Amino acid sequence: MFNETILKEIDDIKVRYPDVRSALLPALYIAQKEYGWLSSEAMAAVAKALDLPEAAVRGTASFYSMFRHRPAGRNLIQICTNVSCLILGAEKLVDLLKARYGVEPGGTTQDGRFSLVIMECIGACGTAPAMLVNTDFHENLTEKNIEEILGKYK
Amino acid sequence: MIELTINGKKIQAKEGSTILEAALENGVYIPYLCYDKRLTPYGACRLCIIEVEGQKKFLAACSSPATPGMVVNTETPKLLKARQTILELLLIHHPLDCPVCDKAGECQLQDMAFKYGPSESRFKAKRKNEIADTGSPLVERNPNRCILCGKCVRICGELQGVGAINILGRGFNSKISPAFEETLDCEFCGQCIDACPVGALGSKPYKYSARAWFLEEHDNICPYCSVGCTVTLDIREGRILRSRGIEGKGLNKGNLCGKGRFGFDYLYAESRLTSPMIKQNNEFKKVSWEKALDFIAKNLQAVTKAHGAQSAGAVGSQRCTLEDNYMLHKFMRGVIGSNNIDSIARLGYAKIQKAVEMSFGLKALPVQLDSPLGKEAILVIESDITATHPIWGLNFLKAQRQGSKLIVADTRETKLTRHSDQWLRIRPGTGTALINGIIKKALDEGIYDKAKAPSIQGFNSLSESVKDYTSQKVSQITGLSEEIFSEAALTFLSAKSRLLALTIGAAEDTKGLHTALAAANLIMLTGSSPSSLQMPAEYCNTMGLWQAGVTPDMLPGYRPLDKKGMDITAMLYHPGNIRALYVMGEDPLLSFPDTREVENVLRGLDFLVVQDIMLTETAKLAHVVLPASSWSEKEGTFINAEGIAQKVNKIIDTSGDSVPDWQILRNLARVMGSDIGGKNLKILQDEIQSIKCEAGHLEMKYNPVTYVPTEGIDDNYPISMVTGNLMQHSGALSVMSKSLSSVLADAFLQINRSDADKYNIKDDSFVKVISRRGSVFVKARISHEVPTGTVFVPVHFPHAKINTLTRLSQNGDSPVIAVRIEAMK
Repeated sequence: MFNETILKEIDDIKVRYPDVRSALLPALYIAQKEYGWLSSEAMAAVAKALDLPEAAVRGTASFYSMFRHRPAGRNLIQICTNVSCLILGAEKLVDLLKARYGVEPGGTTQDGRFSLVIMECIGACGTAPAMLVNTDFHENLTEKNIEEILGKYK
Repeated sequence: MIELTINGKKIQAKEGSTILEAALENGVYIPYLCYDKRLTPYGACRLCIIEVEGQKKFLAACSSPATPGMVVNTETPKLLKARQTILELLLIHHPLDCPVCDKAGECQLQDMAFKYGPSESRFKAKRKNEIADTGSPLVERNPNRCILCGKCVRICGELQGVGAINILGRGFNSKISPAFEETLDCEFCGQCIDACPVGALGSKPYKYSARAWFLEEHDNICPYCSVGCTVTLDIREGRILRSRGIEGKGLNKGNLCGKGRFGFDYLYAESRLTSPMIKQNNEFKKVSWEKALDFIAKNLQAVTKAHGAQSAGAVGSQRCTLEDNYMLHKFMRGVIGSNNIDSIARLGYAKIQKAVEMSFGLKALPVQLDSPLGKEAILVIESDITATHPIWGLNFLKAQRQGSKLIVADTRETKLTRHSDQWLRIRPGTGTALINGIIKKALDEGIYDKAKAPSIQGFNSLSESVKDYTSQKVSQITGLSEEIFSEAALTFLSAKSRLLALTIGAAEDTKGLHTALAAANLIMLTGSSPSSLQMPAEYCNTMGLWQAGVTPDMLPGYRPLDKKGMDITAMLYHPGNIRALYVMGEDPLLSFPDTREVENVLRGLDFLVVQDIMLTETAKLAHVVLPASSWSEKEGTFINAEGIAQKVNKIIDTSGDSVPDWQILRNLARVMGSDIGGKNLKILQDEIQSIKCEAGHLEMKYNPVTYVPTEGIDDNYPISMVTGNLMQHSGALSVMSKSLSSVLADAFLQINRSDADKYNIKDDSFVKVISRRGSVFVKARISHEVPTGTVFVPVHFPHAKINTLTRLSQNGDSPVIAVRIEAMK
């Protein structure tokens, strides 16, 4: 399932650790980066590349919440709704995203552009409300600037 | 040793042991659910918490090291309260369906709740409501009862080296499951069942068959391979319901493979013989023992009178007890007066025995089960020890995990190759060339014991004989690249301690006498002791059969015989050599190579007696069939591959009118007017005990061998066929077991994708396999486990008649077979 480049990337990671199991998390990230989520096939391919039992790979992947086990959009919005963000209007932002893009928390837009996930605290209480888009950090969100920010992600 | 105090008592403990180990060794009870001696500490269940003076927190005894002067308390009021709470937490999700759970009565959670806690939790949460996995053979999983101690996961991954299951998810949603929640499809060793402290993992054949408190527990020695594991059999109303390994018990220390755990039910196969039968007009008629023995006596006497005692022969059994085989020897030599007595071990263990005698001057070289541990390099030649001797195989995996370099030379991908550090994928049957190449390498590079090796007899002829085995030639023969070969050879040669292991079984066609001799040469050259060469006997009593004198050239105790009798090849492959044959517990028509030849001889016999537990293929050709009592139905002795004699117990009634083999032979002798002893088992055992076993004298000698190319591969027969054993089966016995057959019940042909495409073969379709001796039909299974140009077929299954294709190897070479494969239209 993996192309040469991914296999090469995984091989490069493998040699960094004395135990191949240590390479499992980075290898899973590589797979997720490539496909947007971890399908059974992707996890089986990771198992094969690292020579680990499939059950060991799935067990680890299912433990960490930042691995996605369902198909996701091209861009992942992770928005915080914990106390500080909540007080400063995070819920309104979520409603806006629902209305503007037609996406429910945990769901994906019809065009596959965005997936929305409600996040626990991401440590930006001082600059709340805050969100992550893919790996980019955005803070001091307002109903106005959130649309501008998201406009950059196609 | 260190000293510490537990509950006010001073105790001694080994340095490096945990508090729990120290306590258990000194008879102090600490409760636990997730600890297992065989596994690394895990600390999941928290029941083993203890108080240590000077420490504020409770410590988990299973994962805290014992230190000198430590003061430990295990049953303070605070601890009891904490344990109670832990149990309550465990019970939140537990269904408490004890009345319908097979584990009730021997459930550790139940016991703990009874001892420490309330049986119900103060905490309330939704009970788990998963669907049980009942789809797989032998093992059933009920996730609702699971307490997530992870023992099954760790047994499977850490000890068995499989890793079929794991804990998926996190928190309350965690569950034990195969990778993608599919139905369990693993080796079916069942180790997880014994490990499970609750009823989450159960044995399917045992399900709902008895409450634990009605069972009677009896130990016995497993009837399958030569490891000689202790199995604990639970019986109810005279029937064995299950077999378990009990922690720390027996040579196996509580480990069992699938055969030992599930394979006992062959005892209850419908095909068991229940009464003596005589063939009249091509049909078997049940007769009384008196009539049957009388009939045999008359016919045997008639044949020997007409053609001499030398016209009679006998075949013994590696699965019958020492006493049975000894009696067969006495019957043949004492009553008939013929040395024509042999067994299928001629095609397997005899080659090992011969190699050991020729190389070391020893009569036998028993293996040691813990031999792989601590060796720097281990080389295994074309053997899947994890399939043929599974519990010994575990030690190879363990050694590898502990840092031994495991090099496995094998055509097929096996469990052992998957766990190896280096897998040498050689062409089938080229092990001899590989070893000769390593010898040449050692001599060339000077990596051998220069003090000892040259003084051993035959050094010059050895170096002369391997002259041609350059890396280039070895590469040509084996198909390995020169670099890979050199790397493996140097790893093995330069190691400080080493082990060379291989099995030779009648069902395996990739090794022969030459392979064993070459292996011995290499071991002597490296200066290692003979025990660095490990070649195990095949079945539960192969060693016993040998010691009992069931061989044409030796009397019991390995005493040499001047006037040798005919061996199995002379008896069964040369029509007319014998006229009457007595077969005890063997099925030549199924197990011996080149079935057509054997059938020809068997059909041409004047008189054939088969004494067995079931109506075998051979028995169908017999004139008289005698029902023998099986393992667990009679007392006796098995001698395992380590040479250890272990008592086999009678724990259930005999099947029908069957009688133990040794008694049948004694009775027959009486009918024939001879007394060969064996008035009772005790007298017989005393007689056997009094025979001194000759050990031989350690006198090393090189026996140069050359690689003999196997049967020609040509345009007509372009593919090499490897035969061998499956992990779930053992010889022809295991196919009688309904449980083991539920995993695999029929033969198949493993074929590589590229060969399949070439011959237009679809997966799971019937193919015709044709060798120079015959043809059979089997289903093809496309698999990456075999390389292009090689196919693999297991030999256990009677209907496939795989031995129609195979051939006898008499020149020390390995009898790999050349075949052609045709798709069925």
